[in-house]
Formats: sequence, C-alpha cells, structure tokens
Amino acid sequence: MPKTLSVLIWLSVALLGALALATIALHRGEQINAMWLVVAAVCTYALGYRFYSKFIAARVLALDAQRATPAERLENGRDFVPTNKWVVFGHHFAAIAGPGPLVGPVLAAQFGYLPGTLWILAGAVFAGCVQDFVILLFSVRRDGKSLTEMAREEVGRLGGLVAYLAVISIIVILLGVCSLVVVNALKASPWGTFTIAMTIPIALLMGVYLRTLRPGKVLETSALGFVLVMLAIWGGQWASQTPSVAGWFTLTAPALAILIIVYGFAASALPVWLLLAPRDYLSTFVKLGTIALLALGIVAFHPTLRMPPLTRFIDGSGPVFAGNVFPFAFITIACGAISGFHSLISSGTTPKLIRRETEARMVGYGAMMAESMVAIMAMIAACVLEPGIYFAVNSPAGIVGQAPEAAAATISAWGFPVTATEMHSLAQSVGEQTLYNRTGGAPAFAVGMAHIFSNSLGGQALMAIWYHFAIMFEALFILTVLDAGTRVGRFMVQDALGHVWKPLGRTSWYPSILATSALIVGAWGYFLWQGVRDPLGGINSLWPLFGIANQLLATVALCVATTIIIKMGKARYAAVTLVPLVWLVAVTFTGSWHKIFDPNPRIGFLSHAAQLASGSGVNARLIFNDRLDALVTGTLIVMVGLILIESAAEWMRVLSGRKQARVKESPFVATTFAEDQG
Amino acid sequence: MNQPLSASRSRTASGAKALQSIRRFAARLKSCPPVFTAALREIFDESAYTRFLNRKQMVSSREAYAAFCCECEAAKARRPRCC
Repeated sequence: MPKTLSVLIWLSVALLGALALATIALHRGEQINAMWLVVAAVCTYALGYRFYSKFIAARVLALDAQRATPAERLENGRDFVPTNKWVVFGHHFAAIAGPGPLVGPVLAAQFGYLPGTLWILAGAVFAGCVQDFVILLFSVRRDGKSLTEMAREEVGRLGGLVAYLAVISIIVILLGVCSLVVVNALKASPWGTFTIAMTIPIALLMGVYLRTLRPGKVLETSALGFVLVMLAIWGGQWASQTPSVAGWFTLTAPALAILIIVYGFAASALPVWLLLAPRDYLSTFVKLGTIALLALGIVAFHPTLRMPPLTRFIDGSGPVFAGNVFPFAFITIACGAISGFHSLISSGTTPKLIRRETEARMVGYGAMMAESMVAIMAMIAACVLEPGIYFAVNSPAGIVGQAPEAAAATISAWGFPVTATEMHSLAQSVGEQTLYNRTGGAPAFAVGMAHIFSNSLGGQALMAIWYHFAIMFEALFILTVLDAGTRVGRFMVQDALGHVWKPLGRTSWYPSILATSALIVGAWGYFLWQGVRDPLGGINSLWPLFGIANQLLATVALCVATTIIIKMGKARYAAVTLVPLVWLVAVTFTGSWHKIFDPNPRIGFLSHAAQLASGSGVNARLIFNDRLDALVTGTLIVMVGLILIESAAEWMRVLSGRKQARVKESPFVATTFAEDQG
Repeated sequence: MNQPLSASRSRTASGAKALQSIRRFAARLKSCPPVFTAALREIFDESAYTRFLNRKQMVSSREAYAAFCCECEAAKARRPRCC
C-alpha cells in the first residue's frame, strides 16, 4: 500500500476515534447511540494495535522471527505444539474470556457510562494488552514458564512466594464473589434454577456420550449439549408455571449457597472427564456463540444509551457499591481493562503453542483487545436500560427497602424515575416474580441483553426466553470457573502441603483430595456465605476485594515484566510496564485504604464493624466478617508492598551496576520454519 | 488520443498489482473457514486428540479416548479458567 494512502487511512481512523470519544465524553443532557462507544472502541484498539503494540514489539521486546519458540524446539505433540496464529488467538481468547468483563462494567455503570468506558479503553491499550503481551513473550523465551516461576527467577524468592499467595487469594475471593453473583441471579427464580440445575445432568450425559458413544467428537457433543440446554431453558418456563415443580426450584439465597458449596466440593472430587471437561466445553461453546450474537445484536439494533455519561454517584454514595469514582471504578472493572488473572493464561498453555515470536503480539495484545470489546458490550447492555430500572435491579434491599413502592420512590428521588408498576410488568415480561434487589450485575446484564436481543430478533414475545438464556449463559460460565478454580486451588494447596508431608502432595490419594477440596471450598464458601447473609447484598464488600486481589496479581506480573525489561538493558523503555504498574499501585493502595479505614460505614470495613458494635442488636458474625475482610485487604496490600520493595531493590542493583544485568532466557536457537509459513 | 508508452505501461502494471492484491485477498478469505474450524478443533481439544492418536499410533476408540482423557487429566485440571 502506498505510504500516503496508509497515512491517510490511519489519520481517518484517528479522527473518527477522536470524534467518537468527544461525542461520548462531551454530550450532556441528551442520550447518545451505543454505536459511538463501538466506534470509539474499534478506532482506539486499531490505533493501539497498529502503533503502540508495534512499538513495544520492535523497540522494547525486539521480537525475533528467526528465534525458535519452545513450541518448535520442544515439540512433543502434547503440550508443545507449533500452531497457526489464528488458532492460538482463538484458544487464548477462549481461555481469558470469563464472567469478569461482563459483571464489572455492569456494576461500574452506576457512575454513568463515561468513567467505565474510558477506563476500559485506556486501561486495555496501555495496561491490560501490554501485560498480556509481555508476559506471553517472556514466558515464550523461558520455555513456557509460569508467572510464579518467572517471579522467583527474575525478582527473587519473595516474589515467587507473593505470586503464589496472590494466585491462591484471587482464586478463593474470585470463587466466593462469582458464586454470590449466581446466587443473586437464581434466588426465587424457578425458571433460572431449573435451567442451571439441568446443566449438571446434561454435562454428565455429555461426558458419558463423549467417552463411550462418540469418542473424541467434542464439537458434536458440545453442539448436542447446547441443544439440550436450549430445551432446558424452554422447559424452565414450564417448570416456573407448574406450581408443584416450581416449588422445588424456588430457592432462597442461603439454600442456593449451600447447594453451590456442595456442588463445588463434588466437582473437585469427581473425575475430570465426567463433569469438568464436558461442562468446560459446553460453557466455551455457549460463551463464544453468545459473545458473537451480542456483538451482532448491538450492531443490528444500535440502541440508545439511557444512562447518563456521569451520575451523581461519582461522589461515592452509589447504591450498587459505595466509594468514589477514583479508585473504585478502576477496581470494579478489572478484566475488561487489566486483569492479573490473564498473566496466568499468558504463562500457561498459550506460550507452548506459539509458532513464531512475532505472533505473540497478535495473540497477547490482540486477544486482550477482544476481551476489552466484550467489556464495552457489557457496558452497553447495562446502559441501554432506563437508569431507574438499572438501580432497582442492582440496589440491595438494605439501601432502597424491601417493598416495591418504597424502592421505586427512593430511586425516583435520586433523579432516576421508576414505578412499581413498571418494574412489575418488566419482571412479568422476563418470567420472574420480581427483579428488585438482584445485586451482582448478572440480572441487570441479562435484562439489557434480553432487551437488545428481543429488539433485534423475536420481539417482546421472546423477552423471557432471551433473559433466561442470558442468565443461563452467565451462570454456566461462572459455575465452570467455580469447578475449574476449585480444582486448581486444590492442586496448589496439595503441592504446598506435599512439602510438609509427602502423602498430602499426592493428587491421587483420596484423603488428601477430600481434605484439600474441603479446605478450598470452605475458604470460598465462607466468603459466599458472608455475602449471602450481608444485609447490603455482599457485592458491596466482596467485589472490591476481588478487584484488589486481581489487580494485585497484575502488579506482580508488571513487577516481573519491568524487572526483565531492565535486565534486558532496555531501562529507557521500562515506562511501558512501569507506568501501568504505578497506576495500579495508586489504585490498589487507595482502594484498600478506603476499604479498611474509610469513616463511612458503607465503605470502610472497620467503621462498619464499629457502627454495628455500637448499635442495639449487636451481630457478632457481621462484625467478625468486617474485621476479616479488613485483614484480608491489609494482607493483600502488604504483599503488594513486599513485591514492590523486592522488585525496586533488584532494579536499583541492576541500574547502579552492583548486579550484572542477566535475564534467565533459554539460549537462542534459530528457527527451521520457513519465513512464509503462515 | 495517443498516450506516452511509459504512462500506459505504468497503468498496466498498477492494474496487475491491484489484481494481484484482490487475488491475495480472495485466497485469504478462502482460508478463513478452515482456520476457523481449526481454531474450534483446538479449543475443543479435537486436534489434541488427533495428535495423541498419531503419536501413539492408535485409531479412535473408547479405549484410545479413555487413554487420552487420562493423559491430559492432570494438565486440564490444573488449567485455570479466567475471571
């Protein structure tokens, strides 16, 4: 392409992006079309990929197409397999896309669409994509080593320990908060509960079908499972309308929590092929299909955003969760902007599949852009709802009251008009008894998604089916994270305990399996139970905790990346990872400080405990939970501090010449792949 | 009407170049469905199963799939699903 034409095209993209960003940022008092968000996102990602990632690839990392990757050098047809870059891209995206980018933006929409959208775009381009890209490349250059191993080798023993503890903490908190999202979506919802309950026998059936009838035909089995799940959604309507059946599936939040805890324990102890693997396949099948469908729906329907760009709740008085826009918007939206969890995937399976170093850019940076786009779609789904409806669904009863009229009056008094009749007819149209106080983000996302889908396909008649399709999609997603996460956590605990007493480390020894499963399930189950019993809905305290834990892991990843860049002799480019690191430290430290010490009892754990202690009906359990959350937050921050100190000391040693700058990369081996092999 | 020869040549060359780009684009478009299918097969472990069969010189059967599941059980169970 002639250079002038290329310059003109990129100039047009930049101008269009600037126009879209100006439109979403500067419009006040009038509603804008959701397509402006899509255009702003696409242009920002295109520019970020074309220029920033290219700069990082060429100047900072110096990607070398001639250097053989571990997939080539260590090819064994099992873990190390040179794979087409698009195939790796799809594989990596399917692994990093989870419920986080769907739930976080929906919760952060309480500030209006603007803060969350800007953070998703800037965070992804300058932080999240960079983290995923550099960690992937560094792992590729170290034979596919994990983040924990790289932290131990490049930063120090303490770095390795902090990375290990961060991974365990994030898994426990993530599983607790994710299961709470499912509980809040399914409580008193026979339709939703029936559908999700049916996914368990469907997954078991898939496991048996795959193992005995059609060995290895996973796509076919997943398609069959999908058809059965669609039938389960349809059957859910029947179940909810048949009083004798509905009674079985109309469950309270505590009952659901107990069932999920029992399920998590069973899933951890059952053979992988029977439940975990088929559910994982089914979830991935539904996930990829639904994300594509949602993108098409948004483009086809191009809805108007009803939520204003900024709401009054940027001052910290929000009903969904309390806290100022800074830092809480940046903690609430983790996965769509930057997620530490991705560094585990980038240093897991993916580096063992990359065929050429140069392809790490598209896979690492590119897949995170796609994930960020999912977050933008979630933001759109939340903001197409009337704000009154959004707040009625997402506000806990402790804030707006139990009675529909009282809740509608409170929300209307905030300037977001909604009536009890409106909420009642909306609940009826989606096949629910009520939509009030369904905190956690999933139901609000499901209503928004059903609104988009029903306007693009099927009209209002299909609103209830689409709503329950969305609930099924999210719950299936989350339960997959739950059973896989419990098992991963169990293995990590077994690995650690194996150093204390060898038999505990044996992953096939049943007493050890049961004990460590109980330990992990007990840990996240406690957080789930705490959330279920919390009169403020639980999300208020647990989601920020999850955000802090996730950003802690990102801090570890960025510390490792900065250390390696400095050791590579590229200190002048260290800002590429250092700036996002400084930002994350500012966000996590400020957020943690508020969560522990803020005098507002809705924000600070300790002030809430003090308020409860001084009240008339002292609830010792709630006070203990607040103090435990404060302790967990404090511990996370101490860990961030420790890895920062250790990393900074290592940087100083290298920069001052006291330590020789030497990275622990695998030696260079020239590739034997032909240049044009695509 | 007579144009200089060099102008006519350069127009022919640019036309050929454009045609070549279109052909290249069409070829890329043609390769999309197989790549898409390959991505799905990789995501859903069908490719891994095929590689397993090739490596072990086996044909697909219940026993072969059970052995495959057994081999990748540890790796699969340790693979976190992202948030």
